[in-house]
Amino acid sequence: MAQSDNANSTRRPKATEERLDQIRREAAATGGVPVASGGAGHAAPPVALPGKTDAAGSYYNLPVLKEPTWTWEVPLYFFLGGVAGVSSCIALAAQFFSGDPALIRAALWMALAGAAICPILLIADLGRPSRFLNMLRVFKIQSPMSVGAWTLVAFSGCAFLAVLGNELVLRGFSSPLLVAMLWTGEISAAATGLILASYTGVLVGATAIPVWSENRKLLPPHFLTSGLGSAAGILELVGFLTSATQILGLISAGIETLIGGSIELRRRNVDIPLHYGKSGWFMRIAGTLEGPVALLLRIIWHSYPIGRYAAAACFIAGAVASRFAWIWAGRVSARDPHALFQLQTGKANSSRPA
Amino acid sequence: MAENHPVAFQWVMEAREKGAQVIHVDPRFTRTSAVANIWTPVRAGSDILLLGALVNYVLTTESDFREYIVHYTNAPVILREDFKDTEDLDGIFSGWDPEKKAYDPQTWIYEGVHSNIGDVPGSDKGPDGGHATHGVNAATDLNDYHVDPTLQHSRCVYQVLRRHYVRYTPEMVEKYCGVSKDAFLHLAKAYCEASGPDKTGAICYAVGWTQHSSGVQIIRTAAILQLLLGNIGRPGGGVMALRGHASIQGSTDIPTLFDILPGYLNMPKLGPASASLDKYIEVNKPETGWWNNFDKYIVSLLKAYYGDAATPQNEFGFHWLPRITGDHSHQGYLLEMMDGKMEGLFVMGQNPAVAGPNSGIERRALGKLKWLVVREMVESETAAFWYDSPEVHRGELLPEEIGTEVFLMPAAGHAEKEGTFTNTERLLQWREKAVDPPDDVRSENWFIYHLSRRLKEKAARDARSRNSGLRALTMDYPLEGKHQEPNAEAILQEINGWTVADRKLVSGFPALKADGSTACGCWIYSGVFPNPGENRANQRAPKDSYAHGWGFAWPSDRRIIYNRASARPDGKPWSERKKLVWWDDADKKWTGLDVPDFTATKAPDYKPPKGAKGDAALAGDKPFILHADGMGWIWVPVGLADGPLPAHYEPFESPVRNPMYPRTQSNPVALKKEREGTEYAASPDERFPFVLTTYRITEHHTAGGMSRTLSHLAELQPELFCEISVELAAKLGIQPGEWVTVATPRGEIEAHALVTPRIQALSIGGKIVHQVGLPFHWGYSGLVKGDIANDLVAISEEPNVRIMEAKGLLCNVKRGRRSPDDKIKDMRDSRMENRA
Amino acid sequence: MSLTAFLTDTTLCIGCKACEVACKEWNEVPDDGMIWSGLSYDNTKSLGSSTWRHVMFLEQPLAAGPQAVDTKDPFRWLFLSDVCKHCANAGCLEACPTGSIVRTEFGSVFVQPDVCNGCGYCVVSCPFGVVDKRPDDGRAFKCTFCYDRQRAGLVPACAKACPTESIRFGKLDELRERARNRVGELRHRGFKDANIYDPTESSVGGVHAFFVILGQPEAYNFPPAPEVPTIHLKSAWTSALVSAIILFAAVCAAFAFSAVR
Repeated sequence: MAQSDNANSTRRPKATEERLDQIRREAAATGGVPVASGGAGHAAPPVALPGKTDAAGSYYNLPVLKEPTWTWEVPLYFFLGGVAGVSSCIALAAQFFSGDPALIRAALWMALAGAAICPILLIADLGRPSRFLNMLRVFKIQSPMSVGAWTLVAFSGCAFLAVLGNELVLRGFSSPLLVAMLWTGEISAAATGLILASYTGVLVGATAIPVWSENRKLLPPHFLTSGLGSAAGILELVGFLTSATQILGLISAGIETLIGGSIELRRRNVDIPLHYGKSGWFMRIAGTLEGPVALLLRIIWHSYPIGRYAAAACFIAGAVASRFAWIWAGRVSARDPHALFQLQTGKANSSRPA
Repeated sequence: MAENHPVAFQWVMEAREKGAQVIHVDPRFTRTSAVANIWTPVRAGSDILLLGALVNYVLTTESDFREYIVHYTNAPVILREDFKDTEDLDGIFSGWDPEKKAYDPQTWIYEGVHSNIGDVPGSDKGPDGGHATHGVNAATDLNDYHVDPTLQHSRCVYQVLRRHYVRYTPEMVEKYCGVSKDAFLHLAKAYCEASGPDKTGAICYAVGWTQHSSGVQIIRTAAILQLLLGNIGRPGGGVMALRGHASIQGSTDIPTLFDILPGYLNMPKLGPASASLDKYIEVNKPETGWWNNFDKYIVSLLKAYYGDAATPQNEFGFHWLPRITGDHSHQGYLLEMMDGKMEGLFVMGQNPAVAGPNSGIERRALGKLKWLVVREMVESETAAFWYDSPEVHRGELLPEEIGTEVFLMPAAGHAEKEGTFTNTERLLQWREKAVDPPDDVRSENWFIYHLSRRLKEKAARDARSRNSGLRALTMDYPLEGKHQEPNAEAILQEINGWTVADRKLVSGFPALKADGSTACGCWIYSGVFPNPGENRANQRAPKDSYAHGWGFAWPSDRRIIYNRASARPDGKPWSERKKLVWWDDADKKWTGLDVPDFTATKAPDYKPPKGAKGDAALAGDKPFILHADGMGWIWVPVGLADGPLPAHYEPFESPVRNPMYPRTQSNPVALKKEREGTEYAASPDERFPFVLTTYRITEHHTAGGMSRTLSHLAELQPELFCEISVELAAKLGIQPGEWVTVATPRGEIEAHALVTPRIQALSIGGKIVHQVGLPFHWGYSGLVKGDIANDLVAISEEPNVRIMEAKGLLCNVKRGRRSPDDKIKDMRDSRMENRA
Repeated sequence: MSLTAFLTDTTLCIGCKACEVACKEWNEVPDDGMIWSGLSYDNTKSLGSSTWRHVMFLEQPLAAGPQAVDTKDPFRWLFLSDVCKHCANAGCLEACPTGSIVRTEFGSVFVQPDVCNGCGYCVVSCPFGVVDKRPDDGRAFKCTFCYDRQRAGLVPACAKACPTESIRFGKLDELRERARNRVGELRHRGFKDANIYDPTESSVGGVHAFFVILGQPEAYNFPPAPEVPTIHLKSAWTSALVSAIILFAAVCAAFAFSAVR
């Protein structure tokens, strides 16, 4: 842009000239400008058949939508945010029902650890990490990402208060103010934690990506449940093999089994990425680990620590994988123009042949 | 036109939106076809057949504009009895000399007219063709023709035309052009309905017509059609050449062509005809018509060249002008180069290593020079031939063995220099300089001026008479700025012309004299700078729908030439709707919406007295003032090397034998220049069964130097592709996008296959003929590279203007890439080892 | 300040790509890769972070209205210059958490390059697949509607360069009316499948860059019923709220149960 020097910020010189020189250097060094499949020439012929734009009516089968640009930090954040958020609920509930102080402490520290790591992941994923504070320029309730950014900040604060309060109380400082801070911290951490653990489902669901938006009612409960089982599982893995964690593990695995089963039974065109291809299989593996495998391990092997460790580990593995699987499915879904068109012309919900 | 002149095409779109019919005929379905009202394919090379059939249609349906052709064209003129047509002689005209492979055009001239040709001792019988032969004084009395205004006389042009084209029928078009009969008739009807007193139609063409061995005759057929329909000299009519370069019109006006001088004056040929200025003028100055002023123009030009050194005593320096001694055209000197007969070459704003015919020969030939100067904005393929050409990569040439010293001089871009462009409408538009060129970059003016200055300085110290011309050349322009740039307006003023005594600018070419009192660098441009400070090329205030006030159209700012034809013989417009110029009986002069291309005071009913000369010899109803007879030439009595009427000949490489004249396959006068390394296919040829045509696309410009070096253009079309039909792809098993090799006898190149229904398989002569299309923009320099399409083209010469036939060739197509360069690189390396 | 718009008309487009180049030249947009696609004459393929005008080339076995082509089967070649739709209800704008994407006084949707931190949420929120992150820069880019040119009283670069006025720039309501008239006129001339693409009925609420097309939107990769993703918020948040309540209850129950035992 002629007027603004911000279009290509002072961090880099003008994109065009620099790029041109780079191309010239490349061309001089290699004798050519690299093309798609490398070297002079293409391995793969293009997609289009001559004479038709596309039999089913798209533009050369090219994608309509843009794929998500998020890298591994984002699904990992989804997972850790879920764990952290639910951990604070666990801490609150345990506190409420006079549970094991060690467990409460562990849960609070999990919440805080998550609150510490999550922003790092998010900032790393940004295209311009140095501008992360711009997330707090405005608050937009209609943007789940804005809600999430502020929630993360609030949660971090509350988790910190809760941990601080708890540590001080554990060391004997039990002034009413401190106890009030502890309870305030725990309650607000739990409240914001629930948002933190579920909003990511809304974030993913309220987009233009068909497989996401058509499963938007499923995603929040799935992410919550997944976070619950993971938080409980982590507590088990560090030694809290209690009946509470077992119950939470069973509930989580059970709900995940139901969720996985309902996904498996959906036969809409928009759900193709969930069933077919590499993304489909990955989704299935993730769901199986989180669902029936973890459930069976818990039921059958409940009385052995190794069984619980295995169930916890499987669930956690499945939960992590599931986040990645949903992002992957989103990419596949973005690439499919036909699913999008059919959805919009009302055919998405009609059954496909199985 | 939409492909290559998209900005100009906006006017076609506007016309279409107002109801004009846009008819497109092309071997391919292009971006023009996409928005046309009518499209037909045409087999590349069968254009005269198609156009001739249109002429035949006009004649058989009597759709000609009768009053127009009777008065304004030579349709009623009676021809000689000894003229024999191609119909009589199976494809040749009378006067053919099989040994000389040339025509003696005596029998082509009008009956009763005495031909000059052969009278001037030493002049060849018949012109050699050339870019400026319509003005030659081939007949002292071309104006003494006889007419039959009823057009019934069996030897009048109209009847000869009828007989000549009678076999050019819609059936023949269907059978040999690939246009269905229905489509042809639909097209013909539409076009005829768009002509007449109230309507006009324009024909626009480009190198799809010119780059053929009968290129000039193809355009002639269109001209005949337009004359028959009364479309010349009228608004919305005409035959428009869409030129392939922003100022290529300018480069024929002030020519870079070897056989003409500025203003379409003939370059003298070595021989008695140019032994003296008087002899030269005698040959070139007709008695009648506007070219009778020829001597004024040549003398004024010589005064511009040589200034005070040009005097009546030394024939104004006429002997200093170079003389043509042979074929100095591009193909001509290319072959001389190849044979090692040339020492040096200046290549300015051209890229023959990519754009020349048979560009493989071009690159080899460059290696035979002692020195090569390339002036370019980028390191073009021509400048890089010695280390980067395919021949070097294949090991056929070694840089160590190429003795050419290459000087690459950086050239200024169009925004870094000032001057004019002359576009296809004959419009001179001045360009301001926006920035100074950086570093060593210089404009052409600077380069030529300072090179000349240094040569003049050397010549001043060397008293030999051979340098006298160099010493005499005037180069006195004011120099400006840190680069000492010659002032471009001063050059334009010299082109405009002035009276020598007081250096007063002339108002136009009527003021030029033959006695040495005026100087003028280019008579057709005269009037562009009539007063100090009045640079009409730089005017930007259009005041009417013909844009007078914006730029300067030569001649004399006439926007439509021959516009006398837009009025009836009595001087009133043909119609209110199509009025352009008309006779004002009150003021006794021609007036109207355009500058009249006619002597302003010559009444419509003016009859020339006997013995009148020049323009005064032309009647008041003869608009074509540059012709000695003032008429539009349906029949060309003088000036063309290959016939007074166009006849269908097949291209040199054709899939069929000539259906019209079985004994004359291709243009008998065109030159094949065949030799080792540039062989031709047979017609037809089993080895090369497909028709190949080359062309341009919007995204790239000519040889790619100005487009493949810019990322924003290069990315639009990064790789060479060849367009083939769905049927051909199926026949050869070619998948869309995969590599194919296209081969002709000259070489082979590789391209991606773009399989598309826009290329049709045509039924020609009862068999399926496939056409293959190649854009010619790629080369081995730049951001994006590709094989060079013109490696496949043969070196040929159309007989009049010597253009090569790049539009109708034969080829073969195979799946897969050509032999990889590195395989051959191994061969080269082992050769190097053996030499060590 | 009146709202401005683009009307892009396929029946006037000659596929010259001047719009693509003018946009890149003015806005200093880098090249998008030297990749031959083989898809007719379209090597650009789609809009993206470094392509803000994209000319499409459709080779179809259909007739273009009354056009007479001498082919065995019906055939037409259509061109259309795609651009950011500048939606009345813009998914990217609603989604942007930094407030980088704003509505200008001209009604266009503008990404402020000095605010954008490249979170990528706009990318998945655009129902037309327009905005994208530029990999070597990190920020999101799309057509600016030549905001700088409009502020200076100039016409956007693409509209300025378009030789046939296939791209028209002007006032929103005037161009909408022109589009309606144009489609009526085209149908009258025999282009029976002339349509306007301006999804006013959907939640997007109409766009400020609309099109006259021949045939169906899908052939141009235009979504037939695009939605602004904010319409999904209510159901998604409701689901989140209900699940959160149930989860909390379940967690409490788990601890209550184990406290009892």
